This record gives sequence, C-alpha cells and structure tokens, in this order.
Amino acid sequence: MTEAKTTTISNRPVVTIKLATTSDELMQCYMLRAAVFMGEQHCPYWEEFDGNDYTASHLMLYVDGEPAASMRIRWFASFAKLERAIILKRYRSYGLFIPFVNWAREFCRKKGYSKAYLHAQHRLWPIFERMGFRKVDDRIFHFSDHEYGAFVCDLDVDEKTMPTVFTDPMVLNRPEDRLEMPGILEVSMDRGASNPHADWIERRTN
Amino acid sequence: MNTMALSIGGETVTTKLAMRMEDSLQAFAVRAACFIGELDVPYSEEFDGHDFGATHIIAYVGEEPAGTLRVRWFQSFAMSERLAVIQRFRGHNIGQLLLERARKLAESRGCNMLYAQVLPADVKYWEKQGWRRLVAEDASTGDKRIVAVVRAVDPSKPLPDVEAPESVVLRREAQLDASGLPLGTASN
Repeated sequence: MTEAKTTTISNRPVVTIKLATTSDELMQCYMLRAAVFMGEQHCPYWEEFDGNDYTASHLMLYVDGEPAASMRIRWFASFAKLERAIILKRYRSYGLFIPFVNWAREFCRKKGYSKAYLHAQHRLWPIFERMGFRKVDDRIFHFSDHEYGAFVCDLDVDEKTMPTVFTDPMVLNRPEDRLEMPGILEVSMDRGASNPHADWIERRTN
Repeated sequence: MNTMALSIGGETVTTKLAMRMEDSLQAFAVRAACFIGELDVPYSEEFDGHDFGATHIIAYVGEEPAGTLRVRWFQSFAMSERLAVIQRFRGHNIGQLLLERARKLAESRGCNMLYAQVLPADVKYWEKQGWRRLVAEDASTGDKRIVAVVRAVDPSKPLPDVEAPESVVLRREAQLDASGLPLGTASN
C-alpha cells in the first residue's frame, strides 16, 4: 500500500502517497498547510500550528515529485482522527481528494483502527457521506471561522493481520506505512546480538 | 530585539532573528502563505536550498508571525530576499522594519552594501527607500524581468559610483538561484 503510484500511464502525472518520515517531508507538510490555511484562508499561525503536530502522523501526497497535498492523523484509543487535510490550489482539479482519504483510511485500517473520525466543514458533508462517513450526532460546532460536524466511518479491520502484542516483534518495528516489507532493523539483525551494554547493569543496582 | 517602535491594533510589532527551529518554521510558514498560497509559486522554487545558509528575520504583531525576510551573506554584500508580509498585516511598513533590521545586522557585521532583486514595477518604491539600480539594462530578458538594486549600509557613506557594478558578480548568483533546486527533491 505504500508509495502508491496510482497513475503511471503515458504523460499523466505520477501521484505518490506516503507517510512523512524525514524532517524535509515534515517541513513540506507544514508549508503546504501554511500556504492553504494561512495564505488562502487567513488562519492565524498559532491556530494552524496548534501544538498537536508532534503527537501525530503526517501523510504527504506528491504529484510528479512536487508536494501537493497533506493530511494529519492523530491516534486516539478507539479511533483515528483525520485532520488538517489540504490540497494545494494548483492541484485541486486532479481528483486527489478521494484517493487520498481512501489511502488514509486504509493506513488506519492496517494499523488496526476500526474507526476513522473527522471534523468536516459544512460544505464538504455530501462528499464525506458519499464516501461512507456518517454524522456522529446533530451537533454543529465552529472554530477558525468554519462550521463543522463530526463524522465517523467504520473500517473493516482484519483481525488476523492487524498488529497486536502477539504480532512478530520485528513487524511492529517496521515503518508504519510499510508493515508488509522488511524494515531497516531487520537488516540490523545480521550484526547479531553483542549486547554492548550488558555491563551497565551495575549502574542501576548501585 | 526591537528596532523601530510600531504597533498595530494595540499589538506591539517586534522583529527578531530566527535562532531556534520553531523560529525558522515561522519564517518559512509566512513565506509559504504568501508565495505558495497567494502567488502559486511551486514549493521547490520557494524553498530553493538556500534557507540553511541564510539568516532569517521575523516580524511579529504581538505573538503572531507577520512577516519575514531572508538575508544571504556574500563576500562583498548582503542580499536581502524573500520579503513577505501576511496579507492582513500589510500597509503598516512591516517590510521597512524588516529591511531596517537587515541593514543594522549587516552594519554590525561590517558589511557595507545591501543588494536586492526587485520587480521593474517596484523600482520607484525601492528608490524612495534609498536604493538605486545597479545598471539600467541589467535585467534579464523575458516576462519576469528583475532589476538589481543596491544601497549603502551606512547612509552617510554612499557607495562610490564605480564600486557597485564591477565589484559584484551578480548574474552568476542570480543563475545559481534560478537553477537552485534543492538536492534530493527528485528522489521521493
């Protein structure tokens, strides 16, 4: 599911979606949000960068290698919250939104989350309803100048493959958007276990 | 940390140099809002690979990052560029404040010339602020022509007429800018 190249035919743009895993990718994510929320929607800096960026996962979407869209996911105990989803203005006619949300849902599902939750701006309600989200209740609330409703969508978690405490430990160590592929720590197993800090136990007993 | 006293809607306007990662992100966010959000500049052009060899000055209205300016240091001059002020804070001379902060910083470093590249339509404004064209026909061809302007860091010590055009290899720097896609952006 990682690095999903959805279109590679002829001269159509190559769309790549991945988890932001480097500081450069994180910066790209923040800058896209600054462009859309601060530049276009006039959101103040401190509302946009609200202190939750370092407790979240960030998804990046690229069009021909250029940062085009991003989304933030926060992990609550019983649901994953999709938020701060944006597409840069010049890419809005590309039909990226639905594939991007679907990728995010699939990401949450593979992590074992059975619910995706989001706050949808009022104007986007029909789109989310068509995508299988339903309103949590009748409340309408507003923040940063927009009206929102809470939506939720059930995800069909595979009990056999979802990560649990009984999953192979080295699978849990893998990059989270590539749980099906061996990660760098599995390569490190070739070095064997020399237990270089074995002596350090005395420090703790003193 | 402050240069000129200024306040907008009861909020004090201050400037500071980016010293921490969060400061730099604020500077970058202001540029992203203005250049990517408003002017539709692609990300890889806006963040051109020079940001980590430069000094960033940020202007705040109260606690809110409102403007930024990047200064790059060359052997014989300081280049001010990427001047951006968030839309709702425009019209309060925040740009002036940032340029003055850059001038003072250059002064404290013993630099005696500021250099900038501006749009032809803006040259008159810059001339009013004490800048002058390097050479009348210096601008490159094409739609997005730019005009190089310079000013003395210390207004009481004007640049000798002969010094400016010859002493600085400007075109090469400009070309470096144009082709300065950050390494590694193609390898997603």
